[in-house]
Amino acid sequence: MRILLMGSPNVGKSAIFSRLTGTHVVASNYSGTTVEFTSGNLRLEKETAEIIDVPGSYTLEPTNAAEAVAVEMLKEGDIIINVLDATNLERNLNLTLQLLQTGKPMVVALNMWDEALEHGIDIDTDELEKQLGVPVVPTCAISGEGVKLLTERLGDAATIKPKTEPEDIWHRVGEIIDKVQHIEHRHPTAGQMLSHATVHPVIGPFIAAVVLFLSFAFVAYIGDWLHEEVMEEIFEFVWEPVTGWISAALGGEGFFHSVLIGELIEGEIDMNESFGLLTTGLFIPIAVILPFIFCFYFILSLLEDIGYLPRLGVLIDTLMHRMGLHGLSIVPMMLGLGCNVPGAMAGRILETRKERFIALTLVSICVPCMAQLAMVAGLLGEAGIIGLAVLFFTLVILWIALGISMKFLLKGETPEILVDIPPYRLPYWKSLLKKVYMRMMGFIREALPYVLLGVFAVQLLYTLGVIDLLDRFFTAPAQMLFGLPGEAVGPLLVGFLRKDVAVGMLAPLGLELRQLIVASVILVIYFPCAATFVVLFKEMGLRDLLKATAVMIVVVLVTGTGLNAILRIAGL
Amino acid sequence: MYKTLAELEKGEVGEVVGFDSGHMPCRRLESMGVRQGKTVTRVSSQLMGGPITISVDGRQTAMGRGIASKVKVKLLERENSGRMSQN
Ligand SMILES: Nc1nc2c(ncn2[C@@H]2O[C@H](COP(=O)(O)OP(=O)(O)O)[C@@H](O)[C@H]2O)c(=O)[nH]1
Ligand SMILES: [Mg+2]
Repeated sequence: MRILLMGSPNVGKSAIFSRLTGTHVVASNYSGTTVEFTSGNLRLEKETAEIIDVPGSYTLEPTNAAEAVAVEMLKEGDIIINVLDATNLERNLNLTLQLLQTGKPMVVALNMWDEALEHGIDIDTDELEKQLGVPVVPTCAISGEGVKLLTERLGDAATIKPKTEPEDIWHRVGEIIDKVQHIEHRHPTAGQMLSHATVHPVIGPFIAAVVLFLSFAFVAYIGDWLHEEVMEEIFEFVWEPVTGWISAALGGEGFFHSVLIGELIEGEIDMNESFGLLTTGLFIPIAVILPFIFCFYFILSLLEDIGYLPRLGVLIDTLMHRMGLHGLSIVPMMLGLGCNVPGAMAGRILETRKERFIALTLVSICVPCMAQLAMVAGLLGEAGIIGLAVLFFTLVILWIALGISMKFLLKGETPEILVDIPPYRLPYWKSLLKKVYMRMMGFIREALPYVLLGVFAVQLLYTLGVIDLLDRFFTAPAQMLFGLPGEAVGPLLVGFLRKDVAVGMLAPLGLELRQLIVASVILVIYFPCAATFVVLFKEMGLRDLLKATAVMIVVVLVTGTGLNAILRIAGL
Repeated sequence: MYKTLAELEKGEVGEVVGFDSGHMPCRRLESMGVRQGKTVTRVSSQLMGGPITISVDGRQTAMGRGIASKVKVKLLERENSGRMSQN
């Protein structure tokens, strides 16, 4: 049996989904589309049913891709749980009446019941049940009240096919509202006042700056703590002995040893520098990158569930619109700060090919992922704040300039933002953790294999002498354009496969500050990692990928040369 | 007096009287509950031609000005007419 959770965006579908399902949930794409949905299992008395968190939709006459998928999924469902926001009954009933007309068995969850009570909204559920002809259960997904009753009443799910004509639906909604809803009082709450402040054209950006600063401080501190105090310890005490044992078994040298373990540094395995698949290959992504990605996705998902992201989208829309995007494309950009792979995948929420091209190209060029940030910060941080400041300033300027240029150079419309701004709400922790878990799994599944492959390829290219060859070839242009010494070319080439490794190779070269800055900027912008490239190919196809690659090459040449010149003039 | 939603000033209240229903974003707006006969209040707008935020039934919706200019409203009295003069 397949149960569909359907309703408008922000009504609490995912929260109810998390209540109903166990730990085993999977996110997948609806076949032939880029729209993602989540499914899990619900144990009922007699059987285990599949339950699907259908993408939110306002209507069954689709106005975007997600709604079109919702309509398709509807055909394959056996029972519908229609989730409504009790504080917003009138708007939600439109979809409810449309759903009833499909003739599928249905149960209605009147969610946000706690908020409705708080706001003095009184809904006569018995009367609503009579009017609709299907079970109506008040629920509060956060506390869990009503959710059990909801599953019990699945058995009573009724099939009603009212004879309302589509054009009469809103009229019928009005009739039902008059009969069942009574609103006692409505005065602005603290939440509403905060809501106004956060989209205020002047105060809003200040609040946004504080929120973003605190978020990054959290990621930097907690991520660092997890990395140093937890993951490194685990590796030292658990994994290092195991690799030591493997190393001994392989005799400490030879082909397999150099692939799996790498080189021994002073006779010992060094997780940071040995460069074997099982040593550095596992250590960097799992012990260094994963903690930061975890913290980042935790904060991002928190901001999302609280309801802050649409507001951020509204604030930044003015700027993004000039770059051929609308405010909500801030979501792929922010996700890209964790890891470019999910960032590129989130480009799917954008409607047109032009938007997707601009957003994905910007993510892969101008948005440094956590791995790059951590490494580059290590490289530049020692010389004080100036290096990092120049790096970020360059990236932001580049982000805006590149966006504006692409908007003008590419054909196609720039759609405008249109978004519901839900009230601020407390997150439901289980739902939040599930979201973080799924994002982490996405990273592990989609990016990790390529990271490992990258380590392997770097080893191979060095062994075969390819890097040395390219080194000699690119030394002259690197010196002339970017002012970088010949030794820096190898690491920059390796950077295509592994940025983090490249940074580690640059560190011992004793570069001047100007060279360090130029090299870091080039490393961040010139190509995304191999994993991102694969995803870009999947998401935009070969033609657009080649176009994006051309953009990357031009951008890196212009920026590297320009920055080098400017920094020289500035006397660095 | 009639205006488009984009021309509504901060704090002004209007009743939605017309839509460009051939326009996809307008149809989306309608399905989101901003439809004929509804009372809208302009809440805020971003600077430099940025999106505007309106409130209908106590819920806020933000949209670009292009979309807002396709929605026609009849001007009603100001929200806080107690404090503001009304002509
Ligand atoms: N107060 C309250 N908040 C809820 C309830 N259900 C969900 N929420 C919160 O509302 C927000 C949106 O919920 P979500 O499940 O993401 O909505 P979806 O878009 O329909 O999947 C989250 O912050 C939830 O924690 C509820 O019954 N009461
Ligand atoms: Mg959801």
